[in-house]
Amino acid sequence: MKTVMRIVLAVALVTALAAATMAQAQERGVSATEVIIGTSQPLSGGAAFWGVPVTGGMEAWIRLINEQGGIHGRRLRLVALDDSYLPPRAVVNVRELVDRVGIFALVGLLGSANAFAVRDFVVENQVLWINPLADANMWAGFRGKRSLFVSYVSYVDEGRILTEYAAKNMGVKTVAVFYQNDLFGQKGLLGVKRGAAAAKIKVVAAVPYELTDREFSAQAVKLRESGADAVVLYANPTAGALVVRGMRQIGYAPKLISTSALADPAMFALAGDAWNGVTLAAYFPLPGTDARVDETLATIVRINPALARQPFNAVGGIAFLEPFLEGLRRAGPNLTRASFITAMETLRNWDGNVARGITFGPDRRQGINKLYLVRSENGRYVRLTPDITYPVAF
Amino acid sequence: MAGNAAAWAGGGDPAEKLRRVELRERYEDDLFLVRGPAGWVAAAVLAGGLAALPLVAPKYLIYIASLVAVNAVIAVGLNVLVGYTGQISLGHAGFVAIGAYAFGIVAARIPWTPAAGAWGVPWIAGLIAAGAVSAVFGLLVGLPALRLTGPYLTIATLGFGIAVHQVLINWEWLSGGRAGLFVPKLTFAGRPLGDAEIYWIALIVSAALTVLAFHIVRSYVGRAFVAIRDSDIAAEVMGVSLTTYKTTAFAVSAAYAGLGGGLYAIVLHYLEPNQFTLLESITYFSMIVVGGLGTIPGSVLGAALLTILPLEFSGFRQWQPVVYGLAIIVVMALEPRGVYGRWLKIKRWFKTWPF
Amino acid sequence: MALLAQYVIGGLAAGGLYALVALGIVLLYRTSRILNFAHGDLATFGTFIAFSLLVTYHSPFAIASAGALLITGVIGAAFYFLILRPARDASLLGKIVITLGFALLLQGTSTLLWGTDTKVLPFPLSDVRVYRLGGLVVSQISIGSFLIGLVLMGLVYVLVQRTKVGLAMRAVSQNLVAAQALGIPAKSIFALTWGLASALGATAGILLAPVALLDPSMMLDPFLKGFSAAVLGGIDSPPGAVAGGLLLGVIEAVFAGYVSVRFKTTLAFLIIIAVLIVRPEGMLGREYKRRV
Repeated sequence: MKTVMRIVLAVALVTALAAATMAQAQERGVSATEVIIGTSQPLSGGAAFWGVPVTGGMEAWIRLINEQGGIHGRRLRLVALDDSYLPPRAVVNVRELVDRVGIFALVGLLGSANAFAVRDFVVENQVLWINPLADANMWAGFRGKRSLFVSYVSYVDEGRILTEYAAKNMGVKTVAVFYQNDLFGQKGLLGVKRGAAAAKIKVVAAVPYELTDREFSAQAVKLRESGADAVVLYANPTAGALVVRGMRQIGYAPKLISTSALADPAMFALAGDAWNGVTLAAYFPLPGTDARVDETLATIVRINPALARQPFNAVGGIAFLEPFLEGLRRAGPNLTRASFITAMETLRNWDGNVARGITFGPDRRQGINKLYLVRSENGRYVRLTPDITYPVAF
Repeated sequence: MAGNAAAWAGGGDPAEKLRRVELRERYEDDLFLVRGPAGWVAAAVLAGGLAALPLVAPKYLIYIASLVAVNAVIAVGLNVLVGYTGQISLGHAGFVAIGAYAFGIVAARIPWTPAAGAWGVPWIAGLIAAGAVSAVFGLLVGLPALRLTGPYLTIATLGFGIAVHQVLINWEWLSGGRAGLFVPKLTFAGRPLGDAEIYWIALIVSAALTVLAFHIVRSYVGRAFVAIRDSDIAAEVMGVSLTTYKTTAFAVSAAYAGLGGGLYAIVLHYLEPNQFTLLESITYFSMIVVGGLGTIPGSVLGAALLTILPLEFSGFRQWQPVVYGLAIIVVMALEPRGVYGRWLKIKRWFKTWPF
Repeated sequence: MALLAQYVIGGLAAGGLYALVALGIVLLYRTSRILNFAHGDLATFGTFIAFSLLVTYHSPFAIASAGALLITGVIGAAFYFLILRPARDASLLGKIVITLGFALLLQGTSTLLWGTDTKVLPFPLSDVRVYRLGGLVVSQISIGSFLIGLVLMGLVYVLVQRTKVGLAMRAVSQNLVAAQALGIPAKSIFALTWGLASALGATAGILLAPVALLDPSMMLDPFLKGFSAAVLGGIDSPPGAVAGGLLLGVIEAVFAGYVSVRFKTTLAFLIIIAVLIVRPEGMLGREYKRRV
């Protein structure tokens, strides 16, 4: 125990000295040649299917920017730590990123539970936080939002818009919802209920599953028994694909409506023929539908070939990072927290390589308030509607 | 030293072996927590060093130290059950969750008067509730344990842990469901407590509970636990009531887990059911085995090791499980009796030097 | 009634896979008293090997699956020889923790080698082609994997109860010292058991992948259910593992259908605990008789 103590003390002393030296620098995480940013993601464990490609997309894009000379002569350094999707580890990671690494901004951080767990620390330490990857609705009414910039999806609005569209344009009278039993799925369900109430149609069943479930035969039968015209999916790709196949197997073929989280080209392989004629929401042009996005994807795949297997999440990572990069560009060579925030507030309907229509303002931190609908047809997603806007909540 | 280590690597009774490693001659020697002036000096230095940590260490290290203190409480309690009484639990995250939510609900939902809030009444009441509620559940889980052993008890406790998790997810009125439950920050004398003060609270509670555990296992209750572990039939024949002591062991262990859960709520400020899954139960279990079954200091060492290792490995990213898994295998292969066994061997080497 | 039958069919299909997982766990426990927490991750690893052989090396299905079973079996036996045996000083709980470390190692390695994305394992039977019987629907793949499972269970039973190797396994599990004194090569028997149990796990994985999709955490839930099913049936009884697996699958499906999807696992465990309180040795187990 004594040896352990000695090591701990030694490490502590060195770190304290390092921290003291860094405090003399003008702004945490910014030097003449470098900007340090950090993220905490599930890079191992059950949610790694999301965290790994998102982080990979960000890193590949940053490498490209650095190869082009960085932004205002500063190279970017992204420190990505693994939290295995566990809140205590996310908290430790964020504290380490702020206290030890000394980051200028926190980018990403996946999952609503993790975002909630680190929220107070981030606000108290006035850390810039760009795109916590969790339902945007959780920030509505949140007071400490000055250094927070969100261009992530609002699942409540998405669910409402999908349901209203189904009632108006697809002749749907009754809907059933298959949802993941966490905030993602529950917010989607709430949105569907609101949309159904507004369009005067009925939600006849809400069937949940847990992220760890691998067997959905009972859920498929339950959905069939509800006899709904349409089934709305708020699921991850595996569960979504399996329940769609399960329903088809027992002879139930409702109209399928789905969250943007499943607007993934991989779904065609996972769900097979059943993934045809599905109506989905989308926030940025999906891979395979837009030249600029495809070019971006091709670029990052050259840097990291593994990203080709999860193109949707990889370009998603870029979409979450891009507004931050634009803020750096606009803030100019004299980069401080204040100049960055001012610069971010000038974004008006800004299009990046992947992200589209980002707007912030002095009182506005919700960067996206529109989506459009697509339909899956023979292995491709085809645009169905123009942009549909929803109210800005924060 | 290598030669000595090999000499100790034979078969035999683990307790006997540790006793030989510690060079104890009389049973009474076993009963003292701190032995001799050197022992007291070491204990004082350790206590002083741990208490002074916030003065020298950066904030994130203090936070990690707080997490270690929390997990140490849970591990010590689990070792009383597994290491001393021989009852397996793979559902301890359930007890931790019950304690954490009991704390959260008492601290957040009860309309405390501002005066009570200012003097820290809510969180003291919360901690008491955390230990008490969890202990009651410990008694309940202890009842089926009267009939079950080995894998059967493992599954029964594992089922308990999963049941607690599912109830917390789906009973939103109670737990806030997947949206979680925010635990108010601690205040004392009308002022919110900082990271350092929270660490001191966790440290004091954790140290007090560790010392208490020493006293429990060296009392007649502890000897009854050990008797049940070594042979429950023989223990019963000699007049140790299995019903009383098995359920007591579960209750004590659950109370520790509950208190650990309460501290966890204090340290993290936010509770969500997925923080208390089977994975956590397995981690607690690994802590005591890696640290040393049937040893209190081993529990603390194991808790420290398995809390710090994954955090240190967080920069390894996708390699993290590989490195972490290898680390566990290597530690267990080199130190089959846990890390504490190695510490004793080092201590003895110094004591007997130059022989 | 047709509805209930449909739930039961779904439950049996899942339960057959639980039974296969349970069988591997039981086989190992009978011989070595070790609960192998790496069983699920080893099965996933084996399934990934089959995937590589099929998709990357374009092997026919029979060869790919046989190769995967063989490699998984060898890994299992190697784990026994290289890690578990050198650590024989560890207590039983210590060995369980070693299997936990091995599980982490395997899970991490699968992620590094095959990535985190979900994969479709090409399988000769289809899940879309179905047979109808009145109002009931059964897919080709459910019937196929159920039958394959039954055959395998039968083979294991014959091996354990009717062959010399099986006799040696039982001898080693009942009295190691006496078995060794009689000239039974205990080391080889242990290694064989590890290999066999691991290959059984990989079979379960390969049968599961077409209906559950393949990714590094595929076996998490099936392993837990298989483990519970093994205990429900009696952890030292292969027929018990099969009965426990099927029963657990059906209980879960019927509960999910009629009572609550949200609490289906909780209810399943409540039933298991209730059964264990009545019969502490599981439904068909015989372990509990002890002498002082």
